[in-house]
Amino acid sequence: MEDLIIEATRSSPEIRFDAAARCLMLRGESYPENAAAFYAPVFAWVQALLDALQPGESVEVELEIGYLNSSSTKVILNLLDLLDLAARNGASIRVTWRYDPQNETALECGEDFSEELTAVEFRLVELEARP
Amino acid sequence: MDKLDLVQLQRQLSHQGILMSFSGPFSHSIIEELGHAVKNYLEDASLARSSLMDVFAIYIEQAQNVRNYIKRWEQHPDHAQLRHSGIVVIAHDDGRYIVSSGNLIDRADAPGLVAHLEHLSGLDKAELKALQRRQMREPLTAAGGGGLGLIEMARKSSGPLLYTLTDIDDRFAFFSLSVTI
Repeated sequence: MEDLIIEATRSSPEIRFDAAARCLMLRGESYPENAAAFYAPVFAWVQALLDALQPGESVEVELEIGYLNSSSTKVILNLLDLLDLAARNGASIRVTWRYDPQNETALECGEDFSEELTAVEFRLVELEARP
Repeated sequence: MDKLDLVQLQRQLSHQGILMSFSGPFSHSIIEELGHAVKNYLEDASLARSSLMDVFAIYIEQAQNVRNYIKRWEQHPDHAQLRHSGIVVIAHDDGRYIVSSGNLIDRADAPGLVAHLEHLSGLDKAELKALQRRQMREPLTAAGGGGLGLIEMARKSSGPLLYTLTDIDDRFAFFSLSVTI
């Protein structure tokens, strides 16, 4: 599997998928013009990763998204659902939601996602205070 | 047309506490750029991070709603005037921020929109959250809308969502929405 790297723009997050480490990282803000189109390659990558997953292998997902518009929220929830389904079928999947403690909205958003998921290990982690 | 009086226009904007406004054909890059300016302004005003993000979020939802609505009519020959009717305004009044937007809509779309807004205004914060959870599971529409924007605005708004609907002619009405944070 190839790595996937998409650089951040003002309205879309940086995306880094490390195939060897089975690690997916999204960092930035997300309000692209068309959220479904923007995240389509991410879905394809995650689906390929899950399909190729061997017993005993785990997947690490790191999300550090300070702002999501409403359509991005929907798309990210779909992505998390995909991971949750794999976790219900026995895969070991850990999602870490990193948030700025001063950004209450980002924390609430992480909490809202965690309420929707049943099987992935979902951790909410505060970012270090900004200088 | 009257001669354009910028002194008068600027005075009026300033009198109304308007920090930023955009009126004209919306593009995604304009939404990004104005959003960036809003954030910088609010950071300089030392607004708490969570309030800043609320103002920013409501601005983005409103601007993208205007853009998405207008985009639906891009190819429609009878709707040229609708395409340039978008406006978004961010104002400051007595410690509160007010994000407003407006655009022409097809009058046929008005009843559904009004019914949705009236439904939202009858819900308390817990009911809005429950509705948001349900709506999060609904698929995105072809236009890219999620039906979540207004619910999110209602959750963040300090009062009910305020809207106006003004008939312009047989075909169009001007819809405006105002959210106070």
